[in-house]
Amino acid sequence: MTIMRQNEVIIRVAGAAGDGVQSAGEILVRTFARSGLYATSYNYYQDIIRGGESWYQVRASDVKVKNQGDGLDILVALNQDGVERHTNPDINEGGASPLGKDGIAIFDNSIKGYTKRDTNYCPMPLADIAAKYSKNTLLKNTVGLGAAIAASGIDFNIFADVIRDQFGKKGDIAELNVKAAKEGYDYFLANYKPLGKKFKFGKKKYMISGGMAVALGAVAGGLKMYVAYPMTPASSALHFLAQHAKKYGVFVKIPEDEISAINTVIGANYAGVRAMTGSSGGGFALMTEAVGLSGMTEVPLVIYEAQRPGPSTGLPTKTEQGDLNQVLGASQGDFPRIVFAPGDIEEAFYLTREAMNIAEKYQTPVFIMSDLYLAEHYDTIDSFDLNFTIDHGLRAKDNEQDYKRYLITETGISPRAIPGQPGNMHNEDSDEHNEYGDVVSDAVTNPQDRIRMMQKRMRKMDTYIEEMKPTPTYHIEDAEYVIIQWGSTKGAVEEAVDILRSKGIKIGAIEVKNVFPLNPDIGTLLKNKKKIIAVENNYSGQLSKYISAQFLVKPDLITKYDGEAFYPNALADEIEVRIGKKKEVIRE
Amino acid sequence: MNMNDYKNKRVPPDWCPGCGNFAQLSAITMALAELKIDPKDVVVASGIGCSSNMPEFLNTYGFLGLHGRLVPFAAGVKWANSKLTVIAYGGDGDGFFEGTQHFYHTAKRNVDITYMVSDNQVFGLTTGQASPTAPIGLRTKTTPDGNIETPFNPIAFALNAGATFVARAFSGDVKHLKDITVRAIKHKGFSFIDVISPCVTWNKENSYEYFRPRVYHLENNDVTNFDQAYKLAFEWGDHIPIGVFYEVERPTYEDLDEVLKDGPLVEQKVHTLTEEDLEEFA
Repeated sequence: MTIMRQNEVIIRVAGAAGDGVQSAGEILVRTFARSGLYATSYNYYQDIIRGGESWYQVRASDVKVKNQGDGLDILVALNQDGVERHTNPDINEGGASPLGKDGIAIFDNSIKGYTKRDTNYCPMPLADIAAKYSKNTLLKNTVGLGAAIAASGIDFNIFADVIRDQFGKKGDIAELNVKAAKEGYDYFLANYKPLGKKFKFGKKKYMISGGMAVALGAVAGGLKMYVAYPMTPASSALHFLAQHAKKYGVFVKIPEDEISAINTVIGANYAGVRAMTGSSGGGFALMTEAVGLSGMTEVPLVIYEAQRPGPSTGLPTKTEQGDLNQVLGASQGDFPRIVFAPGDIEEAFYLTREAMNIAEKYQTPVFIMSDLYLAEHYDTIDSFDLNFTIDHGLRAKDNEQDYKRYLITETGISPRAIPGQPGNMHNEDSDEHNEYGDVVSDAVTNPQDRIRMMQKRMRKMDTYIEEMKPTPTYHIEDAEYVIIQWGSTKGAVEEAVDILRSKGIKIGAIEVKNVFPLNPDIGTLLKNKKKIIAVENNYSGQLSKYISAQFLVKPDLITKYDGEAFYPNALADEIEVRIGKKKEVIRE
Repeated sequence: MNMNDYKNKRVPPDWCPGCGNFAQLSAITMALAELKIDPKDVVVASGIGCSSNMPEFLNTYGFLGLHGRLVPFAAGVKWANSKLTVIAYGGDGDGFFEGTQHFYHTAKRNVDITYMVSDNQVFGLTTGQASPTAPIGLRTKTTPDGNIETPFNPIAFALNAGATFVARAFSGDVKHLKDITVRAIKHKGFSFIDVISPCVTWNKENSYEYFRPRVYHLENNDVTNFDQAYKLAFEWGDHIPIGVFYEVERPTYEDLDEVLKDGPLVEQKVHTLTEEDLEEFA
């Protein structure tokens, strides 16, 4: 059962691809953000440019909203199909609830036959109003949005400004849109009753997607080059950077393939520039060999891996967390790697920024693992803490005596020399090498050199583990039950914990932000719990298996692999069922 | 500076005696000495194969990367620091099989690097299989009855791709190879040199003795004439032209890119993110 809150509104815009559903949804998010509300969103779309069914859900509140929510207050349906799909109680769109009895459905009055069901059908002359201003039929979306703004009790002037900004230089068109929206707004208030939401409006928020946050975090972390081949859902970062290349001084390039992309950025990092690549699972698969090249040559590398459902092309416009095994297993041999999985927009920014330093400090590949849900949905933030120092790690001095690129050290980290630096000419090799960087695989392989080099490289992982921050937790202190979560499921899991806590169930969650290496403190956090449940957006529970192996626990598993993100109420229900089984599953 | 200042004194070359790669090592070091380029400002990037061991024997900055991927690596180095002299050096196996698409697109972009290929028609390090440039009929471990595949034409391919400097040299003529290398390094844009480099161990049919009487120096050819260069690219057999086929000026990728044209990326200031930058998200 979904609880509707007075200080929260969930609006869904539904239509076909090409109807302008996404841009309508984004206008709503921006309007809420500027009104001083927190908002989050979810774009439900298909791998198609025109036609098909799509919808965009926006959830706003005066307190932080952690996910798209599974309720619905206001539906703006751009076609008959949209009215049917989202108000018929027998249809459940990927887990999202249809409109309930208190909800408002806004649609064009040419769509007939919707009066009987137990919801507030509000047919309006959307097309007729739009026709007064323009021949462009997309204008009726704006009229519908005007009505939705009225129904949610948001200041029309803020909405009008957002529309004006949306159309930018096209001033006349902007004013036509504002006028049409105002008519929609007025029509709704004259004919129907608003929801009566009560918000405490705060200061304006910023609206940003996960992909943008990754890109911006990278820029904040000193990014100077981004080379990537297009692939959904990693492309939102690529597009943002391409559009801001000049402003932020970042060289952006689409090369001939992902193999080229990763080898190019390894070249750039080798030459002393912070460079990054990104892709989704299929594109990343092509990069695999070069991941180990970075590990072996100890050239810093940051890879953004935005997951979508596989195998193979899978579901290109849907979300999943199915690439963990691939990222952990990418490339032959053992070498140090560090994998971050941000759980929300803020973490996407901060972890990517941190990854830029970590990669250079440890001179090894560092991953940012995201997914379509996090990469593509818009969220709101108050701000980012912009204090940050770029740390280039251990660098060689000019003209070092007897310079050893791969000097054996206690930390495993050796001083880097960059081409152009006087006196420190050396080789970096994908072959095994000695401290100088001379290849030892050719003539007489010295087993001692090999062993010492393997140990030196792997020691960097021990050094890194010592500097890891504690694993983030949520209501863990008195928890009898604990949820293990990683990546974008964070918001749904935390809300599910809130829902269960409100029922008196002592439950908490841990967020595995450091997916590799695992923080040893996880073992302690999982001790003496009645039940451990792993929640993962994949089929097999990839993280769960790996945590089981490391900490000798046996979590129960809740998975979802239909291409959609978790919904908090549905998840809370499922967790309750699992707890209700009262099966002894902890093996201590 | 003399050529020996560009050689790694710790690691002597480990190629088979008589290998064509020795001539290329000499030519590269002589060319760098002649051009008086400081060893600290040179990056030699290679892939994997016999020839790709080259950076080991040099006292410059060197990188032994992945088979076939030396060219994008080299482009990354150049884009990061356009002040560096970047030489991608590899074999016909890695350059014309796995690396073909990189070769094509980097040439097309006119990235200002020199790409030298030691072309011996076989895979040496993996003990003598037919490579993409193996002539029809060549008997190797993988073509015991003779190669039946039409050989890859590196010169025609480079011309098609849009390389702005396209040349062929011969390991049996070090002086000429050095002169070509000097011109290639000096050329602003993507320079390609295909070096006929006999493999004395795995390719007995195409030896110094085979090539020496057949190669002839290109002289008085109009290097700006694409059609003529393209026609010459198909001359092979009893008369094999060596020298510069084509050389034209065209803006490099670095000249045209709106970020790179402001100077070496490594020297450009890192953008410090401010509250003002966040305003675009309001």
